[in-house]
Amino acid sequence: MALLEVNHLDVHFALRKGDVHALRDINFTLERGERLGIVGESGAGKSVAAFALLNLIAKPGFIAGGEVNFEGKTLNTMSERRLRKVRGNRISMIFQDPMMTLNPVLSIGEQMIECLKAHRRITSKRARAIALDKLHQVQIPSPETRLAQYPHELSGGMRQRVIIAIALLLDPDIIIADEPTTALDVTIQAEIMALLLNLCEQHNVGLILITHDLGVVSQVTQRMLVMYAGRVIEQGPTREIINDPQHPYTQGLINALPQMATPGEQLNQIPGSMPSLDNLPSGCAFHPRCGFVERADGTTRRACIDEVPGFVTSGNCQAACHMVAEMVDDRRLKEESL
Amino acid sequence: MSAQAHKTDGTEALLEIRQLEKRFSLSGDFLDQLRFKGGKLVRHQEHVHAINGVTLEINRGEALCVVGESGCGKSTVARIVMGLLSPSAGEIHYGGTRIDNLSSRQLLPFRRRMQMIFQNPYASLNPRMTIQQTLEEPLRLHNPDWNRQQIVEQVEQVMASVGIDPDWGKRFGHEFSGGQRQRIAIARALAVDPEFIVADEPISALDVSIQAQVLNLLMDAQHERNLTYLFITHDLAVVEHFGTRVAVMYLGTVCEIADTATLFANPRHPYTQALLSAIPRLDDDGPQHIRLEGEVPTPVNLPSGCVFHGRCPYANARCKQEVPVLQTQDDGIRVACHAVEEGRL
Repeated sequence: MALLEVNHLDVHFALRKGDVHALRDINFTLERGERLGIVGESGAGKSVAAFALLNLIAKPGFIAGGEVNFEGKTLNTMSERRLRKVRGNRISMIFQDPMMTLNPVLSIGEQMIECLKAHRRITSKRARAIALDKLHQVQIPSPETRLAQYPHELSGGMRQRVIIAIALLLDPDIIIADEPTTALDVTIQAEIMALLLNLCEQHNVGLILITHDLGVVSQVTQRMLVMYAGRVIEQGPTREIINDPQHPYTQGLINALPQMATPGEQLNQIPGSMPSLDNLPSGCAFHPRCGFVERADGTTRRACIDEVPGFVTSGNCQAACHMVAEMVDDRRLKEESL
Repeated sequence: MSAQAHKTDGTEALLEIRQLEKRFSLSGDFLDQLRFKGGKLVRHQEHVHAINGVTLEINRGEALCVVGESGCGKSTVARIVMGLLSPSAGEIHYGGTRIDNLSSRQLLPFRRRMQMIFQNPYASLNPRMTIQQTLEEPLRLHNPDWNRQQIVEQVEQVMASVGIDPDWGKRFGHEFSGGQRQRIAIARALAVDPEFIVADEPISALDVSIQAQVLNLLMDAQHERNLTYLFITHDLAVVEHFGTRVAVMYLGTVCEIADTATLFANPRHPYTQALLSAIPRLDDDGPQHIRLEGEVPTPVNLPSGCVFHGRCPYANARCKQEVPVLQTQDDGIRVACHAVEEGRL
């Protein structure tokens, strides 16, 4: 049994004009110590997915179906009291903006000790010692002084280190990091990512890394999910997806990176933009932007326009795409006829 | 230094920035600056030293990219060039004319020739104007003698050239996505047929797939209209693709400037090396970046000597005292570093 299992997770937002389906049929698993990346553009639903794991979806959003199982227990139907023993304790979270996550009127020490005392019966002295140890682990210079300082006295990179230290306080099994380095500069980002990777490996902590940056995902994670318009459209081992993406959207994303084109030449752009969730196209949500709706022989793949694609397995990866499905079928037919 | 500022090497410099400095006061107005100290009234002033002696030339037809981390002064350079801020010291020359001391009336003809694209397309479009009005406004300002017909034709033409549907004209800014808005902002900049465009992080607020669209549009415009760009960004992958030359800034000074290919192939300055190594690449396993000690110091109290010495693995006593100046290397890279000059690096 995997440490974390997400089965058929659906999240809706109840708006005046009707329910908007923010997540549809999300399935994945996370083993102990595994690092999983969730990639997608803004509005793809990756942050909603992270919040849904800990049942943190705020109204008008709600989990409309499916389940999140952690060590065999279903989190989304658990009582708030029991859930609190998991949330922050066994599964902790790191958010994008280090300025918004820390409480501006409490010192770093107070926030860390508060967190420990909320989850454990522990003396302040002992809690302080643990806090200090975690600040050492995230390589903050002079941790003793930091404990007495307030968030505004620290730089963005330092704050994000403090937040990682807080996330590690209770020795969690899983850390969910939602765009942890997006607000930071490249050199600081590289340091924070290296630190996070190191700590996860050392303590055998699972990581769910949510980001739009394919470079970061390829360096840190072992498996990845690609999301588009509320659905997972491709999943598999990170290296294989980066080297040989199956879904046309994943291919487009990777090819659109400046390093994939000759300097000075045109970049390979994906035409159009992501549809809004309350007005999705029929069939595959990507079909209006996809270059593979038409087959090589000029005929149209009707299925792309009419049917939502299911997952097909190609190698170690799975992609939700009619074109990939046809390719896999063709390959199988050829093999059978041989 | 002045020898560098007046350097002539055959190519024509469209814009020259000479010994530019910019300080922002932190201590408020005159009365706020007065303090009692030892029974006496003293005036106490504190400044953010945003730019400290930047000298750059931008040649006609090239795209000069200025890169650096937040707070290094790259956006301030862009704003001073456009006349949105006035320099504390130094000069800006455009096509041979000094423009930083001109009145706004005298600046008007230059404003038509130089246009700016801002970072945040959500803030740079007037929410109360339709797209048609947004695009007409600069034309009316710069061509007071044009009649309605000419203006409408020019707007149609610029809309077509950046791929805007003419139907968008009746709609307002909030009806569009980030990428579409940036397209409109580019159309507004191109409407008056400028020759020089300052783009301050034009794609960093956009999604990956949209970034490629906007970058392609900027490159097309450059080829079609023979534009010159001053391109401010923190994204080195974009620089490698887009820039003719690159200037790397750190704490208000230029530490290295060179042709893009040369700089990416063989960066000299220790800061540039660290910056380039920090780009997350698709093709290697695990980060192998050069670690820098500490963080960027505050620009309020600048370090003595080389501004980078506190974080530099190669710093010695000289670096702590003497400010390095840009010196040209064999392959044309200009780098401000004592270690490179002395051959220690």
